[in-house]
Amino acid sequence: MQLKRSKLILIEVIMIIIGILFLFPILLVLMNSFKTFGEVMTDVMALPHKIQFANYSYVWTYLHYPRLFLNTAIITVLGVAGIILFGSMASYKLARTKNKWSGAVYLYCIIPMLIPFQTIMITVLKLAKQFHLSESTWGLGMQYWGFGIPLAVFIYHGFTKSIPLEIDESAKIDGASGLYLFFKIIFPLLRPVTATVIIIDVMWIWNDFLLPLIMVNGTNSTRTLTLAAYTFVGQYTTDWQYTMTAMVMAVFPSILVFILLQKHIVKGVAAGAVKG
Amino acid sequence: MQRIGKRKRETAEFGIFTLPAIVCVLFAFFIPFFMSMKYSFTEWNGIQKSPTYIGWDNFKNIFSGDNNFVNSSLFTLKYSILYIVLVNAIAIILAVILDQKLKSSTFLRTVFFIPYIISLIIVGFIWKFILAQGFTSLSELTGFSVFDLSWLGEPRLAFFSILAVSIWQSIGFYIVIYIAGLQSISPELLEAATVDGAGPFRRFFSITFPLLAPAITVSIFMSLTNALKVFDIILSLTGGGPGGSTYSVTLDIYRDTFQNNMYGYGTAKALLLFVAIMLITIIQLKYFKSKEVEA
Repeated sequence: MQLKRSKLILIEVIMIIIGILFLFPILLVLMNSFKTFGEVMTDVMALPHKIQFANYSYVWTYLHYPRLFLNTAIITVLGVAGIILFGSMASYKLARTKNKWSGAVYLYCIIPMLIPFQTIMITVLKLAKQFHLSESTWGLGMQYWGFGIPLAVFIYHGFTKSIPLEIDESAKIDGASGLYLFFKIIFPLLRPVTATVIIIDVMWIWNDFLLPLIMVNGTNSTRTLTLAAYTFVGQYTTDWQYTMTAMVMAVFPSILVFILLQKHIVKGVAAGAVKG
Repeated sequence: MQRIGKRKRETAEFGIFTLPAIVCVLFAFFIPFFMSMKYSFTEWNGIQKSPTYIGWDNFKNIFSGDNNFVNSSLFTLKYSILYIVLVNAIAIILAVILDQKLKSSTFLRTVFFIPYIISLIIVGFIWKFILAQGFTSLSELTGFSVFDLSWLGEPRLAFFSILAVSIWQSIGFYIVIYIAGLQSISPELLEAATVDGAGPFRRFFSITFPLLAPAITVSIFMSLTNALKVFDIILSLTGGGPGGSTYSVTLDIYRDTFQNNMYGYGTAKALLLFVAIMLITIIQLKYFKSKEVEA
């Protein structure tokens, strides 16, 4: 459905205006993070008198930002690594084995996608306490394995089926088998779908709120970025200049990564959604 | 002998590959799920060592005179319907526009996608700031009375604020799905329709829209499951207020469990949510799959 050129230019101009208005809230937050308390109170729309980083240094030290960043990074990397490893291994075997057990295990792995987290969150917490996985950064990272595997298996399974069986067979003739065959030959071929799963899961775990809230909100040293921003805004409700800064600092890593990898991210999300 | 040996080895290999995933899913979902079923028949404050078995009492109480449950269910239902309709309609319109040969298409797609990568909690806070401080300034600047309304302080307006903010946050995701759907429609079909004298609207409703069905199925499925579970945005934007008018089912469960320490009761509600989500999802998928057409 292509339109005429003159109409296209008009549409283009309108869309760019909509686009700018669309991002206006984020720009406004960024702008106000550089202001003093007085400036925020007098006029939110005005530009800051001068760019000053006092808010940033205050929030940085108050929140122990490097610690939060490290916690969130550990949880995300540990979580995603486990999901990729266990999810791809299981999907490969399930896609290659044709018997009733394989079908049953596949269903067992993907049915949990229908269970909302809120339904099980109470007992998940109780279980995590029993295994000493709560109040721990590493423990939280490991908990994401189970929550992420269903979607990963679902996406990997469809893709693995499209890898020709001849590849396995010729590798076997060359003497490769089992885990060696999978990691040396098959796993590299799964790269595009691995990228999709990584993108979806990094966005989810990095920004996740409810699971970290019930698991690691007890002490400052285990909080994630989103959690710390939530607690901070709760304490400093009216100190907008600080809360704006905290929000920018919580969001900045994701936006930076997105700008660097946007092509892959948009493609990956579309691929994941179409497969899922 | 050799054959038995081979089968054993295959079984062992199947185990090595699938066992880690099986164990993880077992501990993340199935054990907690069956524990939840058990706890939904108990009264438990989360601290006492053993919950007291009380039979169907939790469920009886939920269905007889729990106003919070009724109100939060109505809120979630109203929110979900409006959210699903609006987010998909707007996303389809924007996707069709961005699918034109615009110079800024890629740039605009990125712009619309940016809120989607921000944590929902932060999105709620950003808009809380805009709706409180930002609108005050805008009102002084422009004099428009829209900006004077109490967008978070009045139940009806707070509802629409939550709806609008949710759409703002997630629209980019649905645009991406619909653009992928549009690009899979072969241009020959549309050209043929143009030759046959079909105008742009006729082309859209007779060709593009039906062929977009797979993308619509996916998007409705995603928006449905997300809408029924809406939580983070409300928590940071209104916290359920004003006057408890914006509690969703999930937020109500959260309140019962972690704020009122009624763990058994909260679990019972959470189980009902699961049943509702499962039924609605199955019906939705069945219905939309039957509507899809082959190109």
